[in-house]
Amino acid sequence: MENSTLAADEKIIADLLPQKFGKWGKIWTGFLIAICLVGMFAYYRQLRYGLIVTNMRDYVSWGIYISNFVFFVAISLVGSLITAVFRLANVHWSTPLTRIAEMIAVAAIIFASLIIIVDMGRPERFYNLFTHGRIQSPIIWDVIVITTYFFISILLLFYPLLPDIKILLRFKERSGKWLHKFYSFIGSFWKGTPAQFKLSDKAINILCITIIPVAFTIHTVTSWLFATTYRPGWDSTNFGAYFIAGAFLVGSGAVVVAMYVFRKAYHLEKYITENHFEKMGRIVVLLALLYLYFNVNEFLTPAFKMKESESAYLLGLFTGDFALPFWFAIIIGMILPILILLFKKGRRPLPVFIVGVMVVVGAWFKRYLIVTPTLLHPFLPMHDVPESYRHYFPSWEEWAITCGSLAGAMLIITILARIFPIIPIQETITEQHETVK
Amino acid sequence: MKPLNKILTGLLSVLFLLPAYDGFSQAAQKADLSVAIGYFNVNNQVPYLTVNVKTKKTGRFQPVGGIAVKLFLNKDSAGTFIGKVVTNDKGTANANIPLSVKKEWDVSASHTFLATFEGNKEYEAAKTDLTVGRAKILISATDDKKITASVFELKDKNWVPLKGIELKIAVKRLGGDLPVNETPTFTTDSTGQASADFKRDQLPGDSKGNIILVAKVEDNDQFGNLSIEKTVPWGSKFQYVSTFDKRTLFATRDKAPIWLQFIAYSIIVAVWGILVYLVFNVIKIRKLGEDIT
Repeated sequence: MENSTLAADEKIIADLLPQKFGKWGKIWTGFLIAICLVGMFAYYRQLRYGLIVTNMRDYVSWGIYISNFVFFVAISLVGSLITAVFRLANVHWSTPLTRIAEMIAVAAIIFASLIIIVDMGRPERFYNLFTHGRIQSPIIWDVIVITTYFFISILLLFYPLLPDIKILLRFKERSGKWLHKFYSFIGSFWKGTPAQFKLSDKAINILCITIIPVAFTIHTVTSWLFATTYRPGWDSTNFGAYFIAGAFLVGSGAVVVAMYVFRKAYHLEKYITENHFEKMGRIVVLLALLYLYFNVNEFLTPAFKMKESESAYLLGLFTGDFALPFWFAIIIGMILPILILLFKKGRRPLPVFIVGVMVVVGAWFKRYLIVTPTLLHPFLPMHDVPESYRHYFPSWEEWAITCGSLAGAMLIITILARIFPIIPIQETITEQHETVK
Repeated sequence: MKPLNKILTGLLSVLFLLPAYDGFSQAAQKADLSVAIGYFNVNNQVPYLTVNVKTKKTGRFQPVGGIAVKLFLNKDSAGTFIGKVVTNDKGTANANIPLSVKKEWDVSASHTFLATFEGNKEYEAAKTDLTVGRAKILISATDDKKITASVFELKDKNWVPLKGIELKIAVKRLGGDLPVNETPTFTTDSTGQASADFKRDQLPGDSKGNIILVAKVEDNDQFGNLSIEKTVPWGSKFQYVSTFDKRTLFATRDKAPIWLQFIAYSIIVAVWGILVYLVFNVIKIRKLGEDIT
């Protein structure tokens, strides 16, 4: 009996150990690095010539960078949902997904921080935010809360990794010299004693409790960057909840995409099962319904009143210049996912993956629509301004930097998946033992 | 002809026609400019001119900056040259009427201003003119808060009253002019006068209660824009209350409200206290592991 258990444990370990990149893994990594390099070159040009290389002007002073920032902040919330909420609710089926969620959260929050610096005309003055920041400003609240969330996400990735590091250290030859040194540096002290487990479990519980209000704060504060500014479309008391609902949706969408890709790439069908897609599908459909509800709140009541000061903005979204991305975000990002996932057949791995992609892409456009159309429709009409002030379409530098940041986030997830087990090994073994009992 | 040959012949024809189509196309045409002159006389001092340049793009008029416009008085000659102005981003430029044209100015009671643009790579040459008669406006106010504006025209070296001129009598405010009562405009009678009763009591003035009355003739076809101001102590005294040293949400960082600081710093200390504790927890776990080793 004991021998068979040991053999089963070894099988799990063998299945879940990080794997070296294959041919497609190398091509994928090379592709991401290439996009990042183009983005870095574009950023060099922005540093060299200033923000004039962007198409942001007096009216649209927050363009694609801030849209991207909101997108990253939104997606980072998934760490708190999958790991913290499910763990505290004693949901065990989500165990294989926790590491994926934590990796996405860490990658997203890193790039959320970076993209804010990219948006600054004089990034070398960034430290002034800390030395001269006003506690009355929502921007400072955002800086503080992002920094806090970053550290919590790192700790939430690190603590559950410790038992796995002990396992990884057993496979020096497979890991290679440098990776083995790295594992030793971060976790050779973990011996798996009951005292260590007790401390670790306590820490994880504290983290799970702490991360939920911090996650709510990070996205609420991000929404307040807009809602505390008196503009058509932003002047809403609903913004905090609206942003959080959207964030949970895009985060879950990202997790199902990552689940599918990792499952295929690393042959994890035994661990990330169809049942996981079924359950994640249900979560995504619930969140999509919730977000759709908030969208109805956000747009139906202002559209019903159609105040003169907001009509140009609203009509721009419904039937004007922004109608295509607006209806794309609503239909592809919410309504179609709901329709697909309501059916059992729609909650199979491939449809769930496709829905995940739709949700993530739709969510990106949604963030763009939150930022840009409002800035193009100020309360006081634009008079006698250069033509370039009236429209906004990102320059190639802005696109390159944005794509570079998205590629960078995916690169971090790819590297983390190369270094660490995508599915927590020790937790899987423990759960296996409990199932057998 | 076989069907295949027909298709090939057709495709070749299209291929040959495509460059031909491009070859027949004409060079890009220069755009037309719309130039407008405005004449302003404020407080019966030296008048000035404004130039406004626009062009039509995608069905809408857009201001054009960087356009050099020459201005002349009555005729295009060296002695009547007012000046050369270049429009700004908003497509406007201003020019005072210089002393050098005083001789020409004094000759007649009516003048024609000429504006010429010689054309450049983008825009065709353009010119326009504006004829205005010399007029002046006066304002007076009585103790019973009655305001009278008078408009006169220069005729045969004499100022004669102008009848039927539409004007505004208002109070000058920061964002625009506030009419002194519910009547938006007034018209001068045969004596060239128009009167209005001041009905804006308790209007905030400066620290002494002074407000500025203004009488304005705007965009008149014959006389352009005329305006005159008069300061009267009819407003309420405005006492500026400085919030500079108060704790407010819009104050400097050292003047943040106490309640905000208390809430914000309590949250920060609580959360970061937990994070520091969790880092020490790692050290504790590390120590436990080292003890076993």
